[in-house]
Amino acid sequence: MPFGNLALLVMVVGYAAGACLSLLAPSDRAARWLTTIGAAIGCIGGVAAASSVLATRVSVDATLASLVSTAGGIVIHLDLLGAFFLLLVAALGLPAAVYGIAYTAEYEGRHSLRVFGLMFNGFLLGMSLVPCAGNVFTFLFTWELMAIASYFLVMTESEKRDTRQAGLWYAAMTHLGLVLLLPMFFLMAGGSEATAFADLRTTAAALTPGTRHIVFVLALLAFGSKAGIVPLHVWLPRAHPAAPSHVSALMSGVMIKLGIYGLVRVTFDLMSGGPAWWGGLLLAVGCVSALLGVLYALMEHDLKRLLAYHSVENIGIILIGLGAGSILHAQGLPALAAIGFAGALFHTVNHACFKGLLFLAAGSVMQQTHTANMEEMGGLIKRMPQTALCFLVGSVAIAALPPLNGFASEWLVFQSLLAGTSIQRPEIAVGFPIAVGMLALTSGLAAACFVKAFGISFLAMPRSNHAAQAREAHWSMRATMILLAGGCVTLGLAAPLAVRGLNRVIDSVPGLSAGEPLPRSPGLWLVGPGGSAQVSPLLIAVLLGAIALAVLVALHARGFQVRRADTWGCGRISQTARMEYTASAFAEPLRRVFTALYRPTEDLSVGVHPDSRYFVQSITYTSQVVPWFETAFYDPVTRGARGLAAQVRRLQAGFLHLYLLYVTVALVAALAVAWWFK
Amino acid sequence: MDGTFSQLVMLGSSGMLLTALIVLWRKGIPAYVTAYRWQAWLLAAITGTVAYYGRDPRLYWVAALLLALKGAAIPALLGTMQRRFGAQREATPYVNTETSLVIASLLVLFAYVLARPWMAVTDLPTRQGLPLALGLLFVSLFIVVSRKKAITQVIGFLMLENAIALLAAVGTRGVPLLVELGVFLDALMGFLVMQIFVYHIHETFNTIDVEELARLRH
Repeated sequence: MPFGNLALLVMVVGYAAGACLSLLAPSDRAARWLTTIGAAIGCIGGVAAASSVLATRVSVDATLASLVSTAGGIVIHLDLLGAFFLLLVAALGLPAAVYGIAYTAEYEGRHSLRVFGLMFNGFLLGMSLVPCAGNVFTFLFTWELMAIASYFLVMTESEKRDTRQAGLWYAAMTHLGLVLLLPMFFLMAGGSEATAFADLRTTAAALTPGTRHIVFVLALLAFGSKAGIVPLHVWLPRAHPAAPSHVSALMSGVMIKLGIYGLVRVTFDLMSGGPAWWGGLLLAVGCVSALLGVLYALMEHDLKRLLAYHSVENIGIILIGLGAGSILHAQGLPALAAIGFAGALFHTVNHACFKGLLFLAAGSVMQQTHTANMEEMGGLIKRMPQTALCFLVGSVAIAALPPLNGFASEWLVFQSLLAGTSIQRPEIAVGFPIAVGMLALTSGLAAACFVKAFGISFLAMPRSNHAAQAREAHWSMRATMILLAGGCVTLGLAAPLAVRGLNRVIDSVPGLSAGEPLPRSPGLWLVGPGGSAQVSPLLIAVLLGAIALAVLVALHARGFQVRRADTWGCGRISQTARMEYTASAFAEPLRRVFTALYRPTEDLSVGVHPDSRYFVQSITYTSQVVPWFETAFYDPVTRGARGLAAQVRRLQAGFLHLYLLYVTVALVAALAVAWWFK
Repeated sequence: MDGTFSQLVMLGSSGMLLTALIVLWRKGIPAYVTAYRWQAWLLAAITGTVAYYGRDPRLYWVAALLLALKGAAIPALLGTMQRRFGAQREATPYVNTETSLVIASLLVLFAYVLARPWMAVTDLPTRQGLPLALGLLFVSLFIVVSRKKAITQVIGFLMLENAIALLAAVGTRGVPLLVELGVFLDALMGFLVMQIFVYHIHETFNTIDVEELARLRH
């Protein structure tokens, strides 16, 4: 058996064994370990299979034709694009699984860890097999496996009302995606019965332009609902906080990326790209998602909801890269387009790395403080220094500051947009600068948001008892976070190498490839279009390190010593946590600026002394930001669905005889219809 | 010889359908149990006939098993159940006797219509039994839907099961013992579960009218 097939087999067997054994585990403790061991073996298999494909450029194929033969059987075809995403799944799955051992310890006795183990491994199996699928049936089957398993993972803490609601939203949105996927594949097949991806490539090429446009829009909506583009993102800020943190890390880090995978696979591989307006639509959706995602993230004080909104933002950035790339590709500038595509794919990796890290760090914090509300944290840097450092690395990466990985990929996306400004087409010449502006605003706001997230959660004094009593997380949890933080740094410093690797993937996809070998960039430099701009994260890091070292040396030479004292309190005798800057206060100026968008509801009630209104006794101020377009768009839909459900519910009248009559009538009717149409 | 065979099968199948019709016009539960016992004997007899003319000795075992289980054991259990609840009568069914008989005849007609293409393509000597088996199936379903007492519904279900067994016997020259055994056990389990439910319904509502179950909603 070739190495690739063997590794894939190890992966599937590992996950399956983890799922089954944890279900049969004698104790909760054993279930936790078996879950992780199975998942770890599976992830290692996945990494091995994906790396072998990426290194040798030889795809892995396997077929189980006899299984569900009417639907074409189970076909596995792992090519470079698939291997790239499989590597992503497996590489983040491993730390998440290890993190889970200690993180799920608190679930013992409260939730079924056996079922959790089954679903966790099923989720990883589904996610790993989606990029391996070689025909429509296999794809849809694994896609649903992933969706259903993740639904149950979201519902882990189902005793909470919010969780149940999140589950409902998630199930509805993910099924909406599936409902759109079916007609998309149906249209692509163009009437033929062959459903292998290789056949779809041929049939899709023969479609009329109108059908191709419909297929593209369906793909954008279907995969967009999984990826979380605005306005289909509504499930993200609900489901991510509800799930256990390492599951959120996987959902946000990789599962939503499989939406990007599906989009790339269908649009750029099976249909090998399209006209410029496809790219324009991607670019527009990306800009809106990025900006709205970060704007709503700014208003969130729930750490995990904040991170979830940032996932929307980052998916937006990835789509900006893809959109800019495909516009340039359609303009006949494939070498420039490759920069956008590389930026998009590289940001996919980077986001998986730093968002996984941030969710894991948020989970450690929540485990200690028993809350996700930032206003009840504070001072954690003293109590959880390593977690704080990891969160800081993740924050710097997501804020796209050099020399970390987020910077490198966003720089590439920026360069592709800047390159487009020189094209002599009015819509592009106007559109690209607007996109540049929106992306720049997004980056700036993201930095502000993470100043808030890190500053309020980790700095200053603890705002609650729980925060004051927080301890550093279990060593295994810290180890996985440090691993991912290392990943962020490495991906940042070695960005030019990573981009060179990504160009291989881009070359293998018809709609992305330049058709000619791309110019090799010099070792340490990321190069912009035409070599006009170049940057080296490694050299930036060296420079920053040198400055820091010089400062340290200079301070040491002057006899600098650390002096410990109370914070200066403006002469007040005592300082309490109530005097600290809050997250709401930090976000207030931005809320004022964007009032037109947020449309906040404010409620200020002042209680005064009965004798004089100048003696204020209490002030209560509440303010809420509810995304208005969500209520405007989804309220009628949910109301309609509820009304319909109430109608259907009449069928369930409570009379046994009526139900029996349904069965009888259905049988007689079926027979009569069969007789009529014989 | 085939002539006698098909005549015998036809006779037995008609008898089985007749026993189902008895349930529609009688009102006392003991009569239903008797009707079911006769039906089971007829089913065993038909299976035995198929075994004899089809020269399939294994079907004798099936026939013996049918006789023991459906001809003796289940009627005995039904009798126990019926005695325990005292004199119960199907006093006010959803559909009155006259209409019930009309509907039953329509259902049998429908069965004949449905079975026509099937009878045209098969050359089994037992094919005359097919519409009767289908008719028995519909009539049993109708019993389940239109009668209120839980015991009547259980008997309707058991007759439905007999109809399926009859369909298998006349449509396929008898099914293997293994399959028949599986169906037996299935029906027996179903019957036992229903028996428990009937006892519980009786305990909870002091009646075995399933209409009362509507009170369980909300």
